[in-house]
Amino acid sequence: MITVENVKKKFVRYENKKTKKEFYADNGITFEAHDGEIIGILGPNGAGKTTLLRMIAGILEPTEGSIRFDNLNYKNNELEIKQNIAYLSGNTKLYDTLSAYELLKMCSDIYGVDKEEEEKRINEISKVLKMENFLYNKIGHLSTGQTQKVNIARCLIHNPKYYILDEATTGLDIISSQIILDFMKQEKAKGKTILYSTHYMEEAENICDRVIMINKGIVIKQGTPKQIKEDTKTSNLRDAFFAMIGGVSDEE
Amino acid sequence: MKNNLWNILKKELREMFRDKKSLSMMLVIPIFVPLIVLGMSALFDVQANKDIDEYNQIGFAYKLSEEEKSIAEELNIKVTEGTEEELKNKNENNEIDLYITKENNKYIINGNDSEEATYAKSLMESYFNVYKEYLQGQYLQKNDINPNEVLNIITIEENITEEDNMFVSYIKNYAFIFIIMAITVSATYPATDTTAGERERGTLETLLTFPIKSKDIIVGKYLAVTIASILTGIISLILAVISVAIAQNAFSIYEGLNIMFSPISIVLSVIIIIAYSFFISGLCISIASSSKTFKEAQSALTPLTFISLFPGMIAFMIGLTGTPLLSIIPFINYTVVFTDASAGNVDWINIALMLISTIIYIVIVLTYIIKQYKSEKILFSTE
Repeated sequence: MITVENVKKKFVRYENKKTKKEFYADNGITFEAHDGEIIGILGPNGAGKTTLLRMIAGILEPTEGSIRFDNLNYKNNELEIKQNIAYLSGNTKLYDTLSAYELLKMCSDIYGVDKEEEEKRINEISKVLKMENFLYNKIGHLSTGQTQKVNIARCLIHNPKYYILDEATTGLDIISSQIILDFMKQEKAKGKTILYSTHYMEEAENICDRVIMINKGIVIKQGTPKQIKEDTKTSNLRDAFFAMIGGVSDEE
Repeated sequence: MKNNLWNILKKELREMFRDKKSLSMMLVIPIFVPLIVLGMSALFDVQANKDIDEYNQIGFAYKLSEEEKSIAEELNIKVTEGTEEELKNKNENNEIDLYITKENNKYIINGNDSEEATYAKSLMESYFNVYKEYLQGQYLQKNDINPNEVLNIITIEENITEEDNMFVSYIKNYAFIFIIMAITVSATYPATDTTAGERERGTLETLLTFPIKSKDIIVGKYLAVTIASILTGIISLILAVISVAIAQNAFSIYEGLNIMFSPISIVLSVIIIIAYSFFISGLCISIASSSKTFKEAQSALTPLTFISLFPGMIAFMIGLTGTPLLSIIPFINYTVVFTDASAGNVDWINIALMLISTIIYIVIVLTYIIKQYKSEKILFSTE
C-alpha cells in the first residue's frame, strides 16, 4: 500500500532577474493506494500531477508531509523502495546508443535480477510485448511505439510491486496508447498497485478503480469514477471536473 | 544492487565508446602531439642549418685590405664593393643581404629586417670579431707584447651535456605540455555529455528512479571520464615517444644527441597522466554538472583548455624548476615535475607533494559533485 500524507512541494520561480517567488506545486495532498488498484491522478497541465508522482518515485523530496510504501519511507529505505518501483513518464527517455537487449540487461543488473533468471525474463518479456524483431536494434533507431514497448519492458524486468505512470500515453498514437493500457490491466490482475496520471479523463474513467482530482496543487475530489459522477450529478469525469472547479481551469 | 557503481561505469563506457564525438576527441586529439614534435623539429632544423649562400652577399662601401679580404674569404662572405648609393640600391633590390659603411674607425652595418639580413648580421658580427682580434694582435706586436698573453688571458671550454641541448628540451617539454592539453580536451566532451547532456536528453530522470545511490551514479560517471582521459594521455605519450624517435633520425640538429625520453621520465609521465586525468575529469564534471544546458557546459569548459596549457608553458619558458610550493599548484606542478625529470633531476619529495596535493584536490572536487548529485537541482535546475 502507498500512503501519501499531507505532501507539499515548494518551488522557487524567478519572475524576473531579481525577483523570485515561492509557490507550492502540491499543497497538502493525502491519499492511499491499495494493492491491486489503479489510481488515476487527474488534473489539467500545471495541476501538480507530475511533481506528486516524482515525489512518490523518489526523484523529488517533499517539502512537507510523508510518503510510505507499506512501512518503508525514503528517508530510511530509499533503495528498498526504489527496488520495488517502476517509473514511466511521457518524458522518459532511453539510451539511444544501447540496444533494447543491452538496456534490459543493464536494468536487470541494476535491480539485482538473478543471472540465471535474467535471460529467461528478457526472453519472456520480449515475447509478451512482441519485441523479438527489434530486441538487438539500437533504441535510437526504433519507432515511438517500439521505444514505448522497450520502456514497458524496462519497467517489468524486476517484477516491481508498484507502477508510477506519469502521462505515459500522452502524445502516443492509438496503438502505442493501447499497449500501455493493456499493460496496466495485466499488471493490476497480478495484484500490482498502479498510480496513473493523465489529463485524458475518458481514458481514466475506463481503466481506474479510483481517481484523485487535483487542481492548483490541492485535491478537489477523490473516489470511484461512479461516485464522483453521482456526487457532481454529471455523466462523465470531464464534466465532473469542470463542475467542481466552476468553469474552465486556468492552465499553466 | 551491490555492484551498481560497476553497472553505471559499464553503461557510461559503452555509451562513450559508441559516441563518435567522444571517440574522436579521445583518439584524434593525440595526433597533434607528433605534429608538434615533428613540426617544431623541422623548424629548428631549418633555422640551425640555413644555407650560408642564402645570406652571405655583403656589400662594402670602402676598399677592403688584403687581410680583410682574407677574413671574408675564410668566413665564406661574398664581397661586393661599390659606393654607398650603389650598395643601397642593390640592397633594396635584394642583390646583397647587407652593406657596410665606414666612418674613420666606425663601421656601420646597414640593412633591413628580413630573415636573411638577420643571419647576415650575425655573420658580419663574427667577421668583425675576427678582424678586431687581428688588429689588436697587430697593435700588441708593434708594442712588443705577446698577443697570446693578452688575448688569451682566460680560456673558455664548453662542456654541455646532451640533456641541456635547447632544441631537445623544447621538443620534449612542448610534447608533454600538449599531452596535458590533449587530456583536458578529451575530458571536456564526455564530462559535458554524461552530465548536462544526459539531463538534456531526459535520461537522467530514468537513472534517478533506479535503486542506485546518487554517489554511485556520479562516481561511475567520473571514473568513465577519467578512463577516457587516461586513454588519451597514454596514446599521446606513445605517439610522442614514437615521433621523438622519428625526429632523432630525420633531423640533423639531433645528430650525436640522445633525445629519447629516459625510462624514468616515461614512468613519471604515466604517473602524471593518471594523476592529471583524475584531477581534470573531476573538475570538468563539477563545472559541467552545474550548467543548465549542454551548450552552457561547453562554454564554461572552453577556458579550461587554455588554463591547462598556458601556466605549464609559461613555467617552462621562464625556466621554473621544481620547488615544494610549485609542486602543489595545479596545472604548473605537472609541467615542472616533468621538466625536472626530463633534465635528469628527479626530486621525489616534489613528486610526492604533487601526488598528495592532487589527491586532496580530487577529494574536494568529488565531495562537491557528490553533494550536487544528492540535490534535486541537478535534475530540475530550471524549476
